[in-house]
Amino acid sequence: MKKTNRKTIIAVLVIAVALTALLIATTRSSTQYFLTVSELQSGETDMTGRNVRMSGVVLGETIVYDAKTLDLTFEVAQIPGDHKVIKEMGGMAVVLEEAAADPTLPRITIHYNGVKPDLLKHEAQAIVSGSLDANGIFQAKELLLKCPSKYESALPNQAGN
Amino acid sequence: MFYLGLISFAASMLAMLVALILTIFQLFKRRTILTSSIITLASVSFGLHTLSVLTLMAMQVLQDYSISYVVSVVNSVMPTILKMTAIWGGQAGSLFFWGWTLNLVLFISLHVRRQIQDGWSFLFTALNLLFFGAISLFAENPFSRVWLLESGDILEGVFSPAAGASVYGGISGFGLNPLLRHWGMVIHPPILYLGFALFLVPFSVAVSYLIRGESGEGLLGETRLWLLFAWVLLTAGIVLGSWWSYDVLGWGGYWAWDPVETASLIPWFTSTGLLHSLLLQKQRNIFKRFNFVLILLTYILIIFSILITRAGLLNSVHAFGESNISLPLMLLTLTLFVVSVALLVWRWKHLQSGWELTSLVTRDAAFLYTNVILIALTIVCFYGLAYPLITGVFTGTQIGLDRTFFDQAAVPLFILLAALMAVCPLSAWTVNSVRQLGKTAVIPLVLSILLTIVSFFLLTKSWLALIVLFVVAFGLLLMLALSLRDCKSPREAGKRWWAQRARHGAWFVHAGVLLIALGIVGMEGLAGSIQGTMIPGDKMPLRSYHVEFVQLTTEYENPEYMTIEAELALWKDGKVVDRLYPGQHLYEDRGQYVSIPDKQSTLRGDFYTLLLDYSSMMGYVTIQASDNPLVNFMWIGAILMVLGAALAASLPWKSLQLDYVDEKDQELQHS
Repeated sequence: MKKTNRKTIIAVLVIAVALTALLIATTRSSTQYFLTVSELQSGETDMTGRNVRMSGVVLGETIVYDAKTLDLTFEVAQIPGDHKVIKEMGGMAVVLEEAAADPTLPRITIHYNGVKPDLLKHEAQAIVSGSLDANGIFQAKELLLKCPSKYESALPNQAGN
Repeated sequence: MFYLGLISFAASMLAMLVALILTIFQLFKRRTILTSSIITLASVSFGLHTLSVLTLMAMQVLQDYSISYVVSVVNSVMPTILKMTAIWGGQAGSLFFWGWTLNLVLFISLHVRRQIQDGWSFLFTALNLLFFGAISLFAENPFSRVWLLESGDILEGVFSPAAGASVYGGISGFGLNPLLRHWGMVIHPPILYLGFALFLVPFSVAVSYLIRGESGEGLLGETRLWLLFAWVLLTAGIVLGSWWSYDVLGWGGYWAWDPVETASLIPWFTSTGLLHSLLLQKQRNIFKRFNFVLILLTYILIIFSILITRAGLLNSVHAFGESNISLPLMLLTLTLFVVSVALLVWRWKHLQSGWELTSLVTRDAAFLYTNVILIALTIVCFYGLAYPLITGVFTGTQIGLDRTFFDQAAVPLFILLAALMAVCPLSAWTVNSVRQLGKTAVIPLVLSILLTIVSFFLLTKSWLALIVLFVVAFGLLLMLALSLRDCKSPREAGKRWWAQRARHGAWFVHAGVLLIALGIVGMEGLAGSIQGTMIPGDKMPLRSYHVEFVQLTTEYENPEYMTIEAELALWKDGKVVDRLYPGQHLYEDRGQYVSIPDKQSTLRGDFYTLLLDYSSMMGYVTIQASDNPLVNFMWIGAILMVLGAALAASLPWKSLQLDYVDEKDQELQHS
């Protein structure tokens, strides 16, 4: 009994170490910072080239789509990242509506190459994953959209690479 | 109708509450058998609950726009089937429906031939049910009405929010989001819910065993069928979701490691592990503790999955947005966890079982490896899900993991699992028979190596894809070879095959998983696509195909949307082999369009086309065409898994032992 116990413990340890190593290695290569537009642009830490996920409200007039090359660019404006703040401001639908109409908020241009998602429109919430390039344009690898309305729960649309 | 729905729902919960109180009295008197009055009350509760669900559905179909839930998910142009199923299209309705599935499951467990509920398990089942009932009654009431105040403001509430307010009924609602108006919406949610709900019964029964201090031999026999059916529905639910995602562009492909997808996969890992270690406990009387842990953990992970879906903590395709119910759900998850851990610690010694592995190549060992990998997958996926939540708490900014994490950490484990499944038929209960079986493996091994070499030259240079192809080929060929070996005397073969249907069912399931792996290789490693802008008569090449744009049509007949469709001719070897009609549905009321792909589906794969852009005035379209080889093996594999599990379930638990003896006899005859 004792002998099997020791064997079991060794086996469990080996597996645990292997799993931890796998988790650490993969965590390092796929870490992603969740930031808002203003946090990304504040320049406190230079985020250029880092893997970032960011959320903002889509400005409908800025959407440019070339269906031949699948190049899609649009601007998003700052919205708060904190659930509590959003709730205090009256919910996501209100926040999106106000942010889209407020020209004083920080904005950023997003570039994405891929099929234009069905839900990409004015006042939609865009969640983009990618990185900031040297020209200050956000190169998105993944684009996820949500369109909350007053009654209906948020329903999103996703397009990934 | 409003009163009928609300009152029958409230009365149903009340009846369940009374049944619960009666049970507690019984338990105080140390009586654990359910009295007939408790069972009657629970049945009445189910009847009333069903009535209230049907009432809400009827209000949706009859478009009672004084009910705010109806306003949010129904509109006048939706087809009737979608009006009905809109009951699980929004937060309040789907929670209400989930509560009903729990009641359904309880009802079944009280009325099947072998009733398995006792006082303690009923207590836990009813508590879970009442928890969700309370949420529907007090926080997310689907019967909430729209009120017009004297000031002209509009408010929601079950009862009049202010003096002078009147019920306000509009003429149409918002309707389901167009992305949800699809067949997937009709079948995917209820099947997944039922799969989730069925795990409540094994959970409650296990808790009852722990409280009563029973050692757990009976637990297996009593809960096996429940676990198998729950597992089948969970599997079917997950795959149907994947199929829907593939069929509608908007959802982002057949699998995207979306938090809600991942959250539903985690209990699948633990329950799959459970199905394996149950057999070990049966055959060798080991893993008793492990089985208890897995039964409890699976249900806790299901509640966690509901929490992820409902609370809006993570950005997900499925998230219902901000909600007030995340706190109660978090508390439920924590409570279930603490109670389970406490009970296990309390009875840990009591659950001792033997622990011996005769060899590292026998079937016990293979089962052990399987479960180690499944647990590792559980940990990896849970860690990936929880990482942003944890970093959010500790550092203020959320730091998450993108999907490369899941691709890199989970895929190697999946490949190991597939490899184990491939060699699984080679493992037997004794070392000797393993040697015997090894001889049968030679031909499949040679064939699959040849196949892999051919694939290297013809299909792909990706070593990852080649490894999976090899594993899949070897696994399938091996099962085929062993089945053929068993068929030497055809008259006996059928009988023996039926007698051993639990084992052959398991093979079906494994073959199904391997076929799904084949489909994934097709999508991830072998697919190709092209997009181009064309005017009528233009052709675009993709592999051995040509896509010709014929014409653009517009149709106004459907009241829900306007349809714009491109007619494409698919050419192969100089002739038209098919016509495809990818299009867009424009929902004018919402200013939203939904892309509707069209595909030519064959066993070889899908030729998948999408209308990306068009100009009716200029007469051009932009089309994306993809060749997705092998993709349909995913759906075939899933069907095989469900059939296999059903086959295994048809063998009574008691006879499983016989299967073991038969097999040994058979192996002796062969050696």
